[in-house]
Amino acid sequence: MSKIVDARGLSCPAPVLMAKKAIDDAPQDSSKDESIDEIKVIVDNEASMENVSRFLTSRAFNVEVLQDGGDFKVFGKKDGSEKVLKSESPISKHSQSTEVSDSHKQKILVLAATDRMGFGDDELGKKLMVSFLKTIKEMGDELWRLVFVNNGVKLTIKGSAVLEDLLDYEKNGLKIMVCGTCLTHFNLLDAKKVGETTNMLDIVTAMQLADKVINI
Amino acid sequence: MCGLPFPTDENVLIGIGTADDAGVYKVSDELALIQTVDFFTPIVDDPFDFGMIAAANALSDVYAMGGVPKTAMNLVAFPLEKLGGEVLREVLLGGIEKLKESQTVLIGGHSIEDDEFKYGLSVTGFVHPKKILANQGLKNGDCLILTKPLGTGIINTAIKGGLASESTVKMAIKVMATLNRYAAQVMVNFPVTACTDITGFGLLGHVAEMIDGSAVGVTIYSSLVPILPETVDFASIGLVPSGAHRNRKFRQNMVNLRSDVTPIIRDVLFDPQTSGGLLIGCPENQAKNLVKRLIDNGVEQAAIIGLVDDNIKGVINVE
Repeated sequence: MSKIVDARGLSCPAPVLMAKKAIDDAPQDSSKDESIDEIKVIVDNEASMENVSRFLTSRAFNVEVLQDGGDFKVFGKKDGSEKVLKSESPISKHSQSTEVSDSHKQKILVLAATDRMGFGDDELGKKLMVSFLKTIKEMGDELWRLVFVNNGVKLTIKGSAVLEDLLDYEKNGLKIMVCGTCLTHFNLLDAKKVGETTNMLDIVTAMQLADKVINI
Repeated sequence: MCGLPFPTDENVLIGIGTADDAGVYKVSDELALIQTVDFFTPIVDDPFDFGMIAAANALSDVYAMGGVPKTAMNLVAFPLEKLGGEVLREVLLGGIEKLKESQTVLIGGHSIEDDEFKYGLSVTGFVHPKKILANQGLKNGDCLILTKPLGTGIINTAIKGGLASESTVKMAIKVMATLNRYAAQVMVNFPVTACTDITGFGLLGHVAEMIDGSAVGVTIYSSLVPILPETVDFASIGLVPSGAHRNRKFRQNMVNLRSDVTPIIRDVLFDPQTSGGLLIGCPENQAKNLVKRLIDNGVEQAAIIGLVDDNIKGVINVE
């Protein structure tokens, strides 16, 4: 599905938020051809042009910009989209984020919403979780994001049995995301020792970009 | 402001002609007055927080000149019917809180009715005429030390969009409301060559002012620059204030980015700051000690972020 957003007369961050809303409000099931795979955002200042280009790139769109008088038309197109939204020729191409360009490797996101694995015996569950997080490195470099939410954030704090392992993973380039709302809720903001404090938007964006999401 | 016939006299030590943080007027051989004024529209929701931030921001220019603030006056433009007196009271209380902390007295002010709320202060401080810290004066081999993390402009943009997490908002408010007093108190005991505070032009914009027309250049090590949480994430989805783009356009001819520095980091380095930290130039052999003393005195995020180099005159290399 394609969409046109007219954000002329608006300054940052409104054009980015309008583009975001247009994409987020559409149904996300791409098989039914209802999710946005082509979008055109019209803005009238360069700052908004750059910001919208960057936003669309972060959502895995290929971005092209066309200047039209004082306006900029920012075209975003997802790979595999056959439809043609424009007839004019573009003046610039923005490079895609490198994270999405490596096509043969899948991106796995592991969401740890708990500090224990499975139901039954909590002692056992905690041991299993430790073992799981120590073994997860066997996924190799297809392991792309490790996200901790709710009770899971307790694995990222001082004294966690897997803290050393997580620090190692992070040092080797794995992006570990830790829910800020959850840390605040448990009053653990200062105790967190590994990973990047993050928010729901980033988590949702990461889930959307991932090829596989594993929920523990 | 170019070309206007500003009056002046021989006691003006730092006037409107340079891009300095405040004006300085010599009263005697022992005493000079520092004067500065700043005000802006609300950037955070909580009125008390806004008051604290506006006051910390206005006081900062005095600290950046090596001075001590003494007196202040409120500047208020307020839509009384729309927002009500209680909001204004909270804002002013926030301002007073920071004035007390800085041992500055409020001796007056002026308010008008206005559709758009604005608050700030004019601040007057003292400095010894021989101990003024200007923004130019960096020497070859100096280290540059930054005392607060960057990112408040980008985070404020994310707040406008309702996308910043509570913890990040809290941290940004804490950083913006922190006085540069503690950093300044440590700094004045070191052989500082130049100092400015990071505000609307962003880190690289203010570095540019420090070296523009001088005999030196600066290398900034981007990985050493302290950055607030989530800032890079917000910048990477395009939540960058237009001021950052303007700052970059204005100064990009002075800036060389090494190829591995991303446009996202570049925009963070140009992000306009509200009540940002001090940027201090100091000889290399004293720099580590200065950072240690800053951290010991509660300026926890102080870090060496750059080196002054006369081989790259007038240029900022970002690595």
